[in-house]
Amino acid sequence: MSTNKQKFLNRYHVIFLVQSAMVGTGILTLPQKLSSVGYSQTLFPILFGVIASLTLLPMIWMNSKYPNENLFRINEILLGKWLGKGVNLFIVLQFLVFSSGIISSYMHLIQSTALPEQTITAPAFFFILLLVYIVRGGIRSVARFCIMTFFITIPMLYFLLWAIEKGEMSHFLPFFNYNGKEFYDAMKKGYLSILGYELIMFYFPNIIDQKKAYKHALIGIWISIVLCLITTAVSVMYFSEWQLKYVEFSVLNLFKAGEFSFIERIDIIGMTLWVFLILSTVTAYLWCAKRGMDSLLSKERKNYIYILALIVFLIIKMPFSQEFQEKLFSASSYVGYVILVWPIFLAIVHLLRKKQVQT
Amino acid sequence: MNRKFKLMFTLFVLLFLVGCSEKEVKVPLEEVGMVGIMAFDYIDEDTTKLTVAIPQYSPEAKRNTQIFSVKTDLVSKGIVKIEKLSDKKVILNQLRVVLINEEYARKGRVEKVIQNLYRDSEVGNKVLIAVVNGNGEELLKGQYLDKPNINFYLNDLLLPSINTAFNPNTNIHDFIYTVTNPVFDPILPIIEKIDDKIEIKGVALFKNKHMIESITPSEALIIQALQGKKKLAPLPLDLNKGNGKEIVMLDLIESKVKIKSNKNHKSPKLNIVLNIKGTLSEYQGKREHELNTPKSIAILEDDINKQLRKDIEEFLKKLKGLKIDPIGLSENFRMYYKGKWNDKLTDATIAKLKVDVHVKTSIISTGTLK
Repeated sequence: MSTNKQKFLNRYHVIFLVQSAMVGTGILTLPQKLSSVGYSQTLFPILFGVIASLTLLPMIWMNSKYPNENLFRINEILLGKWLGKGVNLFIVLQFLVFSSGIISSYMHLIQSTALPEQTITAPAFFFILLLVYIVRGGIRSVARFCIMTFFITIPMLYFLLWAIEKGEMSHFLPFFNYNGKEFYDAMKKGYLSILGYELIMFYFPNIIDQKKAYKHALIGIWISIVLCLITTAVSVMYFSEWQLKYVEFSVLNLFKAGEFSFIERIDIIGMTLWVFLILSTVTAYLWCAKRGMDSLLSKERKNYIYILALIVFLIIKMPFSQEFQEKLFSASSYVGYVILVWPIFLAIVHLLRKKQVQT
Repeated sequence: MNRKFKLMFTLFVLLFLVGCSEKEVKVPLEEVGMVGIMAFDYIDEDTTKLTVAIPQYSPEAKRNTQIFSVKTDLVSKGIVKIEKLSDKKVILNQLRVVLINEEYARKGRVEKVIQNLYRDSEVGNKVLIAVVNGNGEELLKGQYLDKPNINFYLNDLLLPSINTAFNPNTNIHDFIYTVTNPVFDPILPIIEKIDDKIEIKGVALFKNKHMIESITPSEALIIQALQGKKKLAPLPLDLNKGNGKEIVMLDLIESKVKIKSNKNHKSPKLNIVLNIKGTLSEYQGKREHELNTPKSIAILEDDINKQLRKDIEEFLKKLKGLKIDPIGLSENFRMYYKGKWNDKLTDATIAKLKVDVHVKTSIISTGTLK
């Protein structure tokens, strides 16, 4: 494969790939996840943004050492063929379960609110069909879809108007009103909502302007952070602390505050439009999983995507109890944290091996 | 050729697979009974009388509303019972108004019932809640001959209207918000059936999930003014200034409130400045013929200030006596308090609260006549 052919992601692609992968179901439940700190959660997204910017650094640094390889290849190069492949298999599985978790939680939301009389089989099936279609176009079509998603869904911010009108600014005070345990709890649960930017390690070799990739990714991250910040701020203004804790999909409840003369339930519109955000997140993950398959089996085939889609579908429809599913999905979320730290570990290995070569 | 055969074969198989599908039962719109109003009447601690009003669109029916009444202990159980009585499938998607009779509000599990509706995704958050003076079932079954369907009538009556008539509407979100927020105590409008009309009588004050007191609309107006509502309903005032009986009506009021706290919840003190701008729409009393100079208006403004101040102070004293805080005054102390604020702190703050009220009225116009 020639290098020119491989590089086709321009800066807008990078910005919105990073941005869209971060905003998925997470932001829907973010105020609830952060509820252990109560009203002081407003500024948490900024803290998350700082952490994300810092953890992005080793990722980009690691990738820039191997400008033509994605993380799967880097794993194999640095850890040896078998260990690397083992890790890769793990990552692929993780991405599959993680995507299934996202889809399944969205489908349950749809089922409980919009389609209470149906099972989720058919919606899930069509959703995955669309997913396969987008991913088959490669990372560039995923990126284009992300850009489209952003501009289709951003007008939803307008729906927050009523909640802001009704909200109380005084809820923001006092700042930093929490203890260490509450802070830790909020960090642990809340940070999941902004995962997604780590995928840059997989499409980095396709970026044209790799030197500026860090800057572009940062722009993407901070767009998402601002969206999260708006979400938490408006929720804090509008809800009581009890509501923050017990209302699961706070954003939808914020939409419920509004009303046009011709539309009564804005939350239903918001929820159905949300499918774009879910799609853009899941397509990015699934594309990465597909690259993982390519590198695992050491050859590229478009058909792998069908196998992966089938696995995702089976995981969503698996006949296990709700409790087990919940455990599985939350476990996979926490594994997501490991991937954030992984490049640091790789960087250490990289430096050690370099020394070995020199001596 | 081979591909074509495969395609044909698949289509052929798919065609017959249709027979395996389960027949999906979907309720057509005509067979859905959309509940518009729910009313809860108190029977005893465990049982409630649940009454629902469903619009009847069939032209053959003599009445335009179906009313069903059942005794039940759980709300959803009641709905199932009603479904047995009804010829339609009963759904709550179009619920607009929830009525609670006064006895239920004082003794029943209002919070649980409302929370149940809040959880239900079918029900919107903008369902209005009101307390009924008397019996909710009777109110629904009443004959309002010059009014449309009771579903629309009640909803329009309780809806926040743009005209300035007094309206302390409370929807599900507001109720849950105030009931769960330690700095607030919920308020609900009280309605009553009088002959063939329904009237908003006043406001019910809640304490710890139960109604404890009802107040008049003019007192409720003070709550709204102090909560920072920008447009207020017309305000009638009784001036007792030694000039005999004087009644003033202020209209089109724009109000602004500034509350400053001393940030100390142990010896709480509030400084409230209320600015009111309005038109003098009516005056009755001795000064009727003097009110044409700016000076005399200024004197009247001053009198209104004093009277309003007195009213507000008296009302706050009353709230203090009841140990409730429907205005959310303790929020001004929570803002500066480190740690978790709770109901006990609110009670303590209200009990010790000292208030300094200042009112500034400005009458913009007195109409076009000299």
